[in-house]
Amino acid sequence: MSEIENKTEHGSMDGAKECAAEDPKDDTGLGLGVLFFIVAFLICFLSGWLLFPKLLYSKHEQPFSFDHALHVQETGDCESCHFLREDGTFSGIPKTQSCLDCHTDEPMGETEDEAVFTAEYVAKEREVPWYVYAKQPDCVYFSHAAHITAAGMDCITCHGHIGESASSRPYEENRLTGYSRDIWGKNIWGIKKNSWDSMKMDDCAQCHQEETGHKGYCLQCHK
Amino acid sequence: MKVDRRSFLGLGLGAVAGIAISPVGAKLTDDSSIWTQNWPWTPVPPDGKITYDQSVCTLCPGTCGISVRKIDGRPIKIEGQDTYPVNNGGACLHGISGLQYLYDPSRVKTPLKKNNDRFEPISWEEAITLVARRLGKIRENQSPETLACITDTNLGSVAGLFAHFLAAFGSPNQLTMPELESWLALTAQTLHGPGRTLGFDLDNADFILSFGAGIIEGWGSPVACFKANSGRRQRGAKLYQIEPRLSNTAGTADRWIPINPGTEADLAMAMCGVLLQENLFDPEFAAGFRGGLNRFNAMVQQKYPVDQVAAVTGISAADIKKTAIAFAKAKMPVAVPGKGRGDGAQSLKEFAAIHTLNCLTGNINKKGGTFVKPVPGYLAFPDPVQDAVARDGTAKEKLAGSAQELVTKIHRSDAPVVDTLFVYNTNPCYTLNNPVQTRAAFEKIPFVVNFTSFMDETAMASDVILPISTFLERFEDVPSKAGFAGTVVGLARPVVDTVFDTRSPGDALIHLAKTLGGTMGKSFDWPDYKTCLKSLVPGIWKDLSKNGHAVASQGPPAGRVTTDFAFLAENPPTMQPQGDDDFTLVPIDNMRVASTVPASSPFAIKTVSDKVIKGRDMFVEINPRSATGLADGGFAIVTTPGGSVKVRVNFNEGIMPGVIGMVKGLGHKFDNKYVAGKGVNVKELICPVIEPGSGLDAAFGIKAKILKA
Amino acid sequence: MIQDKKAHKFGMVIDLDKCTGCGSCTVSCMSENNIPFKEDESDKKDSITWMRVYRLTNGKSFPDTQIAYMPRPCQHCGGKGGHGHSPCVSVCPATATDYGYDTGIVSQIYTRCFGCRYCMGACPYHARYFNWWDPVWPEGMEKYLSPNVSPRMRGVVEKCSFCYHRYQLAREKAYYDGVDEIEEDAYQTACTTACPAGAIIFGDLNNPSHRIHQIVKPDPHPDPLNHDVVGKSRNPKVFRLLERLGTNPKVYYMSEREWVRKLGDNYLDGEWEKVKNHYGSASHD
Repeated sequence: MSEIENKTEHGSMDGAKECAAEDPKDDTGLGLGVLFFIVAFLICFLSGWLLFPKLLYSKHEQPFSFDHALHVQETGDCESCHFLREDGTFSGIPKTQSCLDCHTDEPMGETEDEAVFTAEYVAKEREVPWYVYAKQPDCVYFSHAAHITAAGMDCITCHGHIGESASSRPYEENRLTGYSRDIWGKNIWGIKKNSWDSMKMDDCAQCHQEETGHKGYCLQCHK
Repeated sequence: MKVDRRSFLGLGLGAVAGIAISPVGAKLTDDSSIWTQNWPWTPVPPDGKITYDQSVCTLCPGTCGISVRKIDGRPIKIEGQDTYPVNNGGACLHGISGLQYLYDPSRVKTPLKKNNDRFEPISWEEAITLVARRLGKIRENQSPETLACITDTNLGSVAGLFAHFLAAFGSPNQLTMPELESWLALTAQTLHGPGRTLGFDLDNADFILSFGAGIIEGWGSPVACFKANSGRRQRGAKLYQIEPRLSNTAGTADRWIPINPGTEADLAMAMCGVLLQENLFDPEFAAGFRGGLNRFNAMVQQKYPVDQVAAVTGISAADIKKTAIAFAKAKMPVAVPGKGRGDGAQSLKEFAAIHTLNCLTGNINKKGGTFVKPVPGYLAFPDPVQDAVARDGTAKEKLAGSAQELVTKIHRSDAPVVDTLFVYNTNPCYTLNNPVQTRAAFEKIPFVVNFTSFMDETAMASDVILPISTFLERFEDVPSKAGFAGTVVGLARPVVDTVFDTRSPGDALIHLAKTLGGTMGKSFDWPDYKTCLKSLVPGIWKDLSKNGHAVASQGPPAGRVTTDFAFLAENPPTMQPQGDDDFTLVPIDNMRVASTVPASSPFAIKTVSDKVIKGRDMFVEINPRSATGLADGGFAIVTTPGGSVKVRVNFNEGIMPGVIGMVKGLGHKFDNKYVAGKGVNVKELICPVIEPGSGLDAAFGIKAKILKA
Repeated sequence: MIQDKKAHKFGMVIDLDKCTGCGSCTVSCMSENNIPFKEDESDKKDSITWMRVYRLTNGKSFPDTQIAYMPRPCQHCGGKGGHGHSPCVSVCPATATDYGYDTGIVSQIYTRCFGCRYCMGACPYHARYFNWWDPVWPEGMEKYLSPNVSPRMRGVVEKCSFCYHRYQLAREKAYYDGVDEIEEDAYQTACTTACPAGAIIFGDLNNPSHRIHQIVKPDPHPDPLNHDVVGKSRNPKVFRLLERLGTNPKVYYMSEREWVRKLGDNYLDGEWEKVKNHYGSASHD
């Protein structure tokens, strides 16, 4: 017995009992420690993997679901709706007015979503407050013309196969940063398998390094 | 089983290990670093399609073409319009700041009615009814002449509609605030007959003799003048600047000739004398001289001998002669009147004497000369429909020749002179000399109706305020003026929907006239102002609506010009400032400070030097040589017959000893913390001096004393 | 490093004899770049004006005194030898400012800056400004803000960017039109286009067809007296501020008046007489 344990002999009976409980021959203490370790590990590990991403992002449903696949089928390409303006700037998400190039104030199909569109936005002459999955923060400058026209890239390289989606998935917003989840990517570790999986500064820099031999100067992508 | 330290240790270690190999750490580190870069309360301006709207700026008499950059219809920037024939690209700082006026904190957002010194919002309908009821009573009393109106200018359809309204109503008392254009027109009328005005071809002149005209301080059409000044350097044309202070114009001039303040007319007379004596006048043009050139010559030789004028002006006799001869011998000389910006208090004698120099050289209506041109006459107003009351009223004598005279008359009279006063786009309670007196006069007017965009000093002294849309929210025809050589009519067009419950002044008047009914309604038989404007400018509407402007004339006007010397030959007196102290206080026109309506924008005030305004304190300029007992940057008290103010002192080697300079356009007293409450309004120190010949205020300054505070 | 042959070197030459001191450049810059304003802007140390106009005098007494005005944007220094080691870039611990070798423009990235203000200490031209407060616009006035420039926040440094967003817009247009070269007129700063006196000329110092190149005539060789100085003007009327420091600004000034040129640097007694002929005049070709 160690000196410390000896000293307890002069203490109360409780102390003595405690001492007995910690008899090295009795390894329940250690076992309990290991058990606690495992339990805590599992709880934290699993919540880190499963719960944390759910807590970190808040989900927003789009004002109504949009069928990209159908529209691509009808119009033939992305550029019909998302085009470069004559001054080289990018039009982004179409305004209600440009939808009316094809649509009228009467729905063309029979979906509930289109009914919402015509009733709430066409009839009331309002813009649809879409959540933009690819939205970058205000400090970022991005030129679609430079990438599409000058570098000859296609939409999929950065935006993935959104054109093939038949409905709009919920928009996920990082509660801490306010960024869209698509910036970091679906994978919570940030591991990317496809070029469009994440769109952080490193992703831009990596591609620039590969394609132009230089990550680029600050003002090239910032404003 | 026992929970002990080790268990807790296990728990802790397990948690740490679990977290460590989960993504939480890495992700949170990244996210929190991004979080530190987030300022959610800083605005993120929405992006969109870039478009440009072309319009015309009406903030000053310059009438520059502007191009408004918009993002999805939201105006974000004003720039000069490259193809507009006045400014040809480029804009002044006030025009560029124009968007700030849209959202100015002192904008009047809805019609207001004064109720015991407080304004309460009312609807347009109520406001118009209120004014109409008052006006109806005036007409019932058969005294329509007790309605008076002060507008910023007498050019353009809006001023024309006010005149039309008064004529239909039956009042002759339509007055305008003095501006450079009104002085030039008065000069042209005095020397060449009515219906004419003056323009100066500064772009081509090879010798510009400026009698204090702030060619780069906002005189005339500022951007056009800036360009002319730059072009002058390239052409090698000369600029001689005669004024008591080394203004920016004097700084850029080939010669700065300091002159005792207020003696410019004497100098011009003496120079005329030199030209006549040396036979340096143009005999061909002299064929058109009337009214006694010989009498004029005899008078100037006798009253303005060079030696005597040298003593008065502080310029050596040799210099006067040399300058006059250099001027006369130049190929394309132009003498330019109008101290500072040329608005406010000036002197007809001075304008006439200076313009006589132009007449003597004969460089009139020639390239690089002075243009004696007709007042733009593109407006085709129908005759007002008048009833008997109106006919009687308009036949009565005008109450006053100028706004200043009217104010003085009201102030001095015990009985009400004016029952109702309309004020449009002007701020007499701030811009006229001695604003304290002006405010007192306004209090004596029973009913003041103010058509204004801003809650300025005069608005606060009004009873009903009809909020007017800014130049970015409405149509208006904008004729070039203020000494611009050509004649261009521009069209200001709305580039944005009205931000507040405001209207175009034309629409307000049409509404008011229709509410009054009868002949008033018949006189204003237009559905709205835009239709009215279209009908008033039938000849040029196509050009206006298509190109945004119509060029009425470019280059020298044709036709012979006669010159009448009668006014000057009588040798009208040179006005002396009030007071008998040693110093002369003169207002300084500073390009960065607007001195009329609207007041400066926050951006403009931001550019003002800390040697003009520091905190709330204002600086006066004084030559260190005459600043006995004063310290640079120290406080001092400036006292004039008009009042006494505490200021700070700025030693400036570029101002004549004995002169105190004070920037115009500061010391506003309305609710806009970015602009008002800074410094002193120099006009508060200056008392008006009415010039007999013109009936206008000619107080270029005032005698003052300055003592250490 | 992108140092291809086609690299631009954007610069500016300001004619101080044409400058009227009117302040249009300052306001155009503020309006273009979302620069805020406060109730009191008379303390010029904390008043943010990327383009500031200084008043110069020849120091003589009445009536021989003369004045001139000198607009001062960021000088976009190339650093010693023009290698991109601008004074501010060299000291920034956050890489919030860098030198664009493709344009010669010195950047400032607000979200990256953490406000240590080393760069402000390093800048010999006082061209950098610190946001002591969050920007606040009167109600409704934020509607005129431009989306092309990020509004800044409290605690970061900002400065002139030669309206880099206008370069970006010009490039987008060029991409769209399928043109390689950006025309001289297609990229001009807000101060240049606003100047009513036409005193500011902006362009590519590397492009002999640009007006700025023709006026400045930059020396292709380093200054033989000081090898740190490159791109010196061979026009005797053109000078740069504190040129002998070797910061190699890309903002040049022009004046016929010797006293104005002399104010471009701090000279000891008699020093100007010795060096003035080395300034501007072609030391060699």
